[in-house]
Amino acid sequence: MNIYFQNIRAINSIQNLDTHLNIWVKDGIIAHCSKDTPTLDIDTRIIDASSMIASPGFIDLHVHLREPGADNKETIQSGLDAASNGGFTSVVCMPNTSPDIDDVTVVEYINSKAKGFLTDVLISAAITKQRTGKSITNMLSLNEAGVVMFTDDGVAVSNSEVMKLAFDYAAPQDLLLAQHCEDHSLTKGFTMNESALSYKLGLKGYPTIAEEIILSRDIMLAEYCGNRRYHAQHISTKGAVDLIRSAKAKGLRVSCEVTPHHFSLSEELLASYDSCYKMNPPLRRDQDIEAIIEGLADGTIDCIATDHAPHSLHEKFVELENAPNGIIGLETAIGVSLTHLVHSGKISINKFIDLFTVNPRNIIGKEQVLIDSGLNANLTIFDLNEEWTVDKTKMKSKSTNTPYHNHKLIGKQKFVFNNNQMIECSL
Amino acid sequence: MNELKKLSVPYLLESADLNRDDIKIVFDKADFFMQNYKRGEKFSDLKGITVAMAFFEPSTRTKLSFDIAAKRLSADSISFASSTSSITKGESLIDTLHTIEAMGVEMYVVRHKNSGVPKFLQENTKGVILNAGDGKHAHPTQALLDSFTLYKHFGAVKGLKVCIVGDIMHSRVARSNIDMLKTLEADVKLCGPGTLLPRNINVWDCDIIENINDAIEWADVILVLRLQRERMESGILPSIEEFNRFYGVSLEQFSKKQDLVLMHPGPVNYGIELDYRIAPNKNCLIQTQVTHGVFIRMALLSLLGSDL
Repeated sequence: MNIYFQNIRAINSIQNLDTHLNIWVKDGIIAHCSKDTPTLDIDTRIIDASSMIASPGFIDLHVHLREPGADNKETIQSGLDAASNGGFTSVVCMPNTSPDIDDVTVVEYINSKAKGFLTDVLISAAITKQRTGKSITNMLSLNEAGVVMFTDDGVAVSNSEVMKLAFDYAAPQDLLLAQHCEDHSLTKGFTMNESALSYKLGLKGYPTIAEEIILSRDIMLAEYCGNRRYHAQHISTKGAVDLIRSAKAKGLRVSCEVTPHHFSLSEELLASYDSCYKMNPPLRRDQDIEAIIEGLADGTIDCIATDHAPHSLHEKFVELENAPNGIIGLETAIGVSLTHLVHSGKISINKFIDLFTVNPRNIIGKEQVLIDSGLNANLTIFDLNEEWTVDKTKMKSKSTNTPYHNHKLIGKQKFVFNNNQMIECSL
Repeated sequence: MNELKKLSVPYLLESADLNRDDIKIVFDKADFFMQNYKRGEKFSDLKGITVAMAFFEPSTRTKLSFDIAAKRLSADSISFASSTSSITKGESLIDTLHTIEAMGVEMYVVRHKNSGVPKFLQENTKGVILNAGDGKHAHPTQALLDSFTLYKHFGAVKGLKVCIVGDIMHSRVARSNIDMLKTLEADVKLCGPGTLLPRNINVWDCDIIENINDAIEWADVILVLRLQRERMESGILPSIEEFNRFYGVSLEQFSKKQDLVLMHPGPVNYGIELDYRIAPNKNCLIQTQVTHGVFIRMALLSLLGSDL
């Protein structure tokens, strides 16, 4: 690895950095990072990078790697290949594996399998044993084993007493609890958002209040239990954005993420009965999309996470109502977000980068990544203006359940560096 | 009649596929078959074409009706029931479709418990799909035969006041009838309990009538839906008795208006949504609907099979 980016725009808000530089990465180290022109090796690959941006490596707080238990959908290897090809140098994997990540042995298993990749795996563990919502996990031991957040993702912790116990138990170590906000009593058998359209299509709906009821309960519990750290996963409704906004205004330590599909696609797409539009939470209405974009712009929403949820073709290519929830997202996140947020003029490129780097690292208390000479290279490099068409057959993920196939996007990841490795993204 | 007339779509997935002209073409064709059908004689419209009755959900009248219609057109009709098929061995729906297709089947009459299945299948076959009822979504041939029945009874559908009564929420018959009656410019209103007819979301853009007496007072036609007993088990309704009292049609109510016409897609739950004493009344058109169903399905099979 010996590559030189000439005249690249380097952005990192925590360094107050936003300027054009020459960056030379050699053997995993940023060998040169300034406006000066260094003396390069004879075999250095030189890239004219004037339309590219270098940022700290992107991190995704919400990824389903599926291993252990469902390696027909994804493996740790294929998931991490997809992550690096998507521009991510870190991912947080979700605990709804089989067995669930509710015990230190599973954490150790994943850590052993995730060694040696460009992309780092950080682990979230379940709040309750086997994610059944009944009794809390060995959170202290799991924390000691390196777990960065606790969530029963895939389901919510429905019982308020259990959630209160979790907040109380997490308090001395100030652990981070996250929630997939869904009042399951309101969403049985759902296929899409509950709306005029769901009635017309004859599909069972998931009302927006099912998300908001659990979110507002959790905010109240987090406050009641002593202003605990709380992260709302993949929020999707206007009401949820409003709840987070008012919680933050009260000074609560509440954060949240949104997925690219929840600000780029609407429920109208379900009229096709195509299972590539089926996920949990479901695609919502235009007013929800507007509220999410507003929340991203005003800082209510802290970060973008993909909820990368691979499923095999034979599982997805069935009657819509029988298809599993979830879409893949690692390899389209940058393109979709740049297209729908930055090129549409809704947020600045600087804000966009914070949503994938500084903010998510703050949420999980991870050390920030700096761009400077002499440091290990942990970088995501993307072309801000490259136009491309999504081709699911080129993806590294083991699954192809994307709604963005054939979408035209503007902006594309190009190079990713971490752990003394480099990949040139191919899509 | 003009044999060159064609529908604007090569399949039938939902009522909205058909415009006013299409519906007129189907009605004319059904009328033609009704006038010209003679016992023991067959039409040759579908000679050499194999039609699969792909019923993935139990059905008696719709399946029989399509089967008879196909046979009267000289089609080779094969039956397919999910309980005896490889679906029960775990074969996927699409694989099943492709298997049948490989045997040379060109038309599929599809009934399935999941909404959207006919559309899903149509997108994955070169054959012609006729929706015979999918989940809570659509049942367009029922809507056609209902409108045809009104057309034959009243001479026109435009301007008729039709109130659909009962479990609108879970009814594909209601959805398809609302769309078709609107296309034909009938005045459609809905009547049903709050849990079976969402009032907060004005989904169907129809006025809601609060009880059966007002519905009868307003309407020229009441289209009564079947109430599934599961609604009680799932707690959506508190009791059959209360539903019957507020939304069931009694003979006394029905007799208040001499020209009032009653339709029901069947099978009827007498004693729940309908008083059994209504059945013999000449304005209770339930059997007429069934008879018309065969001719409507003959018309559709003929029109959609004409290019195969």
